Amino acid sequence: MTKKQENKTKRKRSWIKADDISGYLFISVAMIIFAAFTVYPVFSAIRTSFVEYKPFGSEFVGFENYIETFTNALFYKSVKNTIVYTVVVVPLSLVIAFSIAVMVMAFRKRTQSIFKAIYYLPGIASGVALSVVWLWLYDSSPSGLFNRILSFFGLSTQNWLNSSKTSMLSLIIMALASSQGSSIIIYVAALLGIDNSTFEAAELDGASFMQKIRYIVIPLVKPSTLFLFVTGIIGSFQVFMNAYMMTGGGPDNNTTMIGLLIFNNAFVYSKYGLACAQAIVLAIIIAAISFVQFKLMGVDVEY
Amino acid sequence: MKKVLAMLLVLAMVCGMLVGCSSGTKETTDGGTGAAPTKAADNTEEPTNPAENAKEDTITLMVPPVSATYLEKVRVWADEFHQLYPNLTIEIIETSWDDHAEKLSTMALAGEAPDIAEVSYSMIGTYAELGVGINILDYMDEAALADFDKNALDYMSLEGKTYGLPLYLSIQAIGGNKEMLEEAGVDVLDVQQNGWTFEEFKTAIANGTKDNRFGFVFATSAVTASDMLNIFGISAGLNNAFTPELKYAYTSSNMLTFLQAIEEISASGYMPNYGVDASQRMVMCQTGNAMIFGKAMPLFEGNINKNNAALEAKDGTAVEGSIPVQYAYLPIPTMNGITESCFGTVDGLMAFRNTKTTDEHLANVMLAMNYLCSGKIAADVASELYLDAVCESGRAVIGDYLVEGRDENNLASASRQMGLVVAPPTGLTADMSSKAATLMEQVIAPKLQALLAGEVTAQAMYDEICKAAYKEFGQENCVSGAIQ
Repeated sequence: MTKKQENKTKRKRSWIKADDISGYLFISVAMIIFAAFTVYPVFSAIRTSFVEYKPFGSEFVGFENYIETFTNALFYKSVKNTIVYTVVVVPLSLVIAFSIAVMVMAFRKRTQSIFKAIYYLPGIASGVALSVVWLWLYDSSPSGLFNRILSFFGLSTQNWLNSSKTSMLSLIIMALASSQGSSIIIYVAALLGIDNSTFEAAELDGASFMQKIRYIVIPLVKPSTLFLFVTGIIGSFQVFMNAYMMTGGGPDNNTTMIGLLIFNNAFVYSKYGLACAQAIVLAIIIAAISFVQFKLMGVDVEY
Repeated sequence: MKKVLAMLLVLAMVCGMLVGCSSGTKETTDGGTGAAPTKAADNTEEPTNPAENAKEDTITLMVPPVSATYLEKVRVWADEFHQLYPNLTIEIIETSWDDHAEKLSTMALAGEAPDIAEVSYSMIGTYAELGVGINILDYMDEAALADFDKNALDYMSLEGKTYGLPLYLSIQAIGGNKEMLEEAGVDVLDVQQNGWTFEEFKTAIANGTKDNRFGFVFATSAVTASDMLNIFGISAGLNNAFTPELKYAYTSSNMLTFLQAIEEISASGYMPNYGVDASQRMVMCQTGNAMIFGKAMPLFEGNINKNNAALEAKDGTAVEGSIPVQYAYLPIPTMNGITESCFGTVDGLMAFRNTKTTDEHLANVMLAMNYLCSGKIAADVASELYLDAVCESGRAVIGDYLVEGRDENNLASASRQMGLVVAPPTGLTADMSSKAATLMEQVIAPKLQALLAGEVTAQAMYDEICKAAYKEFGQENCVSGAIQ
């Protein structure tokens, strides 16, 4: 055997080792799941976005679904509604979650756990069950709970979910009040990761509570903030359940979010190709926003 | 050894997943050919008589609780069918009203629709457009169809094709508390027998409005807003989205008249100026907070009578704060001398194409569908819904199924209103039907919600509807002026 052949055989042997095979086999489970339930649907959606979908023989229509998407006023209205919802909900959610996490930190570990569990509870309840409770709270009749509170303070009752003036606000309040659990837990974990000596040094220097928050806590929890901000925006752009259950997109399509529009096109009007085109556009919007977020905020963040 | 064991476990997991993902059932190999040839496409082949070749076959049926006891009874009917045709089995997929339409739509999109499903006629266009509907005329002979009322069959037809069999024709109008109506000066029996005008209706709701009581309430919250147009639009002559000449009707001046009437009564204080949930409308009548409510159906007489009985028995099952109510089923009032009509919807069983569809299987499907819509079953269902049957054989036996203790005036009123239902015009295409449904969901219903909330004027809403309809159908295909 020549030296060249020997090297080749060695390389071959070193390329496939027994350990490698078992490693690949182990990750193959996750890879197959990822390929079947994530990669394939994405490519399938891209392909479907170029057809008029019919289960027994779709027709290729080129960019027609995209043209219909971009010439449909309701699509722009749904994007606008989603942006309004996101711009209000995501930052406020971060502020609320951060503030609660800071307040929770003042307690002993046992009490902290109780508070974390309480705030996380709505997260384990089904969205449908939550919506039913909120529908009851937002009952527009004078006997509705929120309307009774308004009447108690001498304010006029509101047509919460059926008026353009209050429907979006109602969904925002619902989102802010019932989805902070996981963000609080992440912030608490981030706060626990800050070394106590940093605070002690700041106290020796005479730093006030707000100064400690501003100069120590906020910079040190920035990776968590970035994570929550990015995932919050992604989740907010995909919001569906609240609008579907609470308002059905009304009144006057003022709470029609892009997720609801996609759902309606796919499963109510059976325009699956159009729905896929809109889903692809939504994915591009989310990817672009996430890219910008990482570029702007992620410069000095390390994971 | 540990490594080998781990690898074996991983291999087992991978294989398990692949097995889970496979669709290797015998049905797919049997007939997974996609678009099955129909008799129309190949006239040389007659439908197979399943009783003759007696090959085992399973027919899937997806149904929601059409009536209180429907799901229980449908199991019995499926067993009876199996006894009649021992080689055929009906497999029932039970759904709830909440998820039936979406579940069916998702299954149809995946090419996995059940062989037969309960559908409302308004969805037929969407399924026909999707290519999953089956023209039953290719598989059923004229004699079988002759038993069904033409009016009801027309609801299940598009472009000369019939996609299913009618099970019941539901009429939707308004109902009220008879005692309160009479106090408000309404001759209830006369209204039930001869109809009434919109002016008379307005006077009645004005008289019926008191402290803590509205003269009229209509569920308009969220998706129910479209009901108001469908049901009350009748009063202005808007019987269907299209005229008999196949022009889009909601751009007519009748629409503007209707919207102005809604604007007027919603601002009058005789009906709530807030969105009323569908579940609340009848409760408001039962608790004395509303005199007339909509939408109402003849069936509600049963619900109200049950509540009255619960109040009398004091068993704690009655609606909280409710009072004894004598229910009156009323027609929709008419505006400007429009011919009286009633809004009707037909629900029936529709045959679907799926991956195992073959001509032979379809022949069996038709047999099952025909059985499940046949006389005694149609009579049983209609009777439980306080309706009349939609087929001759059903009407012949409905007397055996009539619910005891029904108010004879309500019965006569329902019967009279069923006769006033105008079926959708013939010649509608699936595309027209589908576009009209989208227009309703995306433009008209959302704008109607805004109109009811006082956020848009009737004229502005009408202009928006015209703009959207002209874009969708072309101005030349939309009515301008009035429909008589």
